Amino acid sequence: MLVINQLKAAYGQVQVLHGIELTIPKGQVVTLIGSNGAGKTTTMRAISGMLKPTGGSITLGGKNITGLPAHRIARIGLAHSPEGRRVFPTQSVRDNLLLGAFTRLTFGGKRARGDIQGDLDRALDIFPRLRERQFQQAGTLSGGEQQMLAMARALMLNPDVLLLDEPSMGLAPILVEEVFHIIGRLKAQGMTMLLVEQFASAALAVADYGYVLENGRIAVHGPAEQLRNDPKVRAAYLGIVQH
Amino acid sequence: MDILLQLLMSGVALGMIYAVIAFGYQSTFATSGTLNFGQGEALMLGAMVGLSLSGDIMGGPYVNYWLMVPLVLLFGALQGALVEFVGVRPAIKTKSEFGWIMSTIALGIIFRNVAENVWGRDDLPFPSPLPTTPIHLFGANVLPMELMVVVGAILMMALVEFFNRRSIYGKAVVATSSDRDAAGLMGINTGLVITFSYALSSMSAAFAGVLIAPITLTGASMGAVLGLKAFAVAIIGGLTSGLGVIVGGLLLGVAETTTGFYVSTGYKDVPGLVLLLLVLAIKPSGLFGKTTIKKV
Ligand SMILES: Nc1ncnc2c1ncn2[C@@H]1O[C@H](COP(=O)(O)OP(=O)(O)OP(=O)(O)O)[C@@H](O)[C@H]1O
Ligand SMILES: [Mg+2]
Repeated sequence: MLVINQLKAAYGQVQVLHGIELTIPKGQVVTLIGSNGAGKTTTMRAISGMLKPTGGSITLGGKNITGLPAHRIARIGLAHSPEGRRVFPTQSVRDNLLLGAFTRLTFGGKRARGDIQGDLDRALDIFPRLRERQFQQAGTLSGGEQQMLAMARALMLNPDVLLLDEPSMGLAPILVEEVFHIIGRLKAQGMTMLLVEQFASAALAVADYGYVLENGRIAVHGPAEQLRNDPKVRAAYLGIVQH
Repeated sequence: MDILLQLLMSGVALGMIYAVIAFGYQSTFATSGTLNFGQGEALMLGAMVGLSLSGDIMGGPYVNYWLMVPLVLLFGALQGALVEFVGVRPAIKTKSEFGWIMSTIALGIIFRNVAENVWGRDDLPFPSPLPTTPIHLFGANVLPMELMVVVGAILMMALVEFFNRRSIYGKAVVATSSDRDAAGLMGINTGLVITFSYALSSMSAAFAGVLIAPITLTGASMGAVLGLKAFAVAIIGGLTSGLGVIVGGLLLGVAETTTGFYVSTGYKDVPGLVLLLLVLAIKPSGLFGKTTIKKV
């Protein structure tokens, strides 16, 4: 579904990604693990067009999307729930969700319209807290609620591929569990996902495949199960030291 | 008392013109953080094109005033889109922080020169679509055209607000204003939204032009002072506050007409500028602004 070849990216003169290879097969969940500053967010930003790659190629469903602006990549069917939530603070929760469906609601948006009202209802069913607050300004939501909104908004695109950058950031433990439960449900429905999570072991539990990023390079990759049992990965990223 | 009421009413009409132009400044500032310093010239072009369509200067009138207005709005929109495309887009693309200032000013000067060559340097009368005899309202004399200015201005701003709140395209404009990158992720072509905001900005100015032209005179130099004062209004009211430009416009309009009468017409521009200086010193984000303008 999503194939990334020798991806390079930089902020100004500082190169951050040094040639990343990553494949996300249709219907699978792939997780990207790495310590702070390894380049996980940058990878996602380069994929979704928020940041123009300086090298390499990205294909989505067979289409070359390298260097396209974000709005065109979204129209091809990629949704990105970015780090730091980035909800539209002055607009209502409902408007934020409708904006998530922008490509389906507009002429030239290119996505099939489908059942907007039904999807809106479904999103509000998944996140009941958002239903209670649907007419409230998104900026007045708590951090955790905004996080849920960001995820729900991304789902409203009806994406072929979904990028989730730390969807559990700032959530209370019980809600973290809830988010992973939701990711599991999306997976069961066949959603193709790239997941970045601070809770690496939980991410590896839900994922099919994992990549470990170190200083902008893929250090290790393999089936999630295998990574979970890799002593080096366990020590460095899962906080489990073997005696 | 009657005199004061009279002055207030003229001030309100003038203030609403400022508000409409200032509204245009806000629209581009919201989406792109840039301003069209040729707003005054956009107003002038709107008035001149309107005069050419419904006046008798170019073998016309071709259409009456009411049919002319939508044509002028269309012209204003295209003119604004051109300004964005030629002057602003390259500056945004190269992340040039101040390039747009020079290019919008330069384009404004070019537009004025073109207007001087097409329509001459003299001020021309603009035929009023409404009777020019004042009507009595609460003991004051008001020109029907002045009432039309107020109604037209409010109607235009209300329509834009309605568009922003109700239509998905308007929501996309608001989203682009609050977070351009995130808006892009929604599939919104934010570059096009910025072009649109420039179109809207010049369209507002052109509308102000055909509203005020029948009250004043029309000429290539009519826009410069209006554009500058509306800029002061946008700063006084706050570049980020929709309500602010109306209050700011009314403040300035009334301050001008009352000073012009009670002090001297020679000083009528002073209170507005003093107000501007005060606001800049005490609350740089404007009376109603939420965010402060970047400190330099
Ligand atoms: N906007 C930016 N400008 C300059 N450098 C940046 C910018 N964003 C990130 N970087 C740098 O790029 C590198 C990778 O950052 P990135 O945000 O991709 O890391 P990450 O793996 O997502 O980390 P975290 O787990 O903390 O979210 C870091 O060294 C960071 O300092
Ligand atoms: Mg990150």
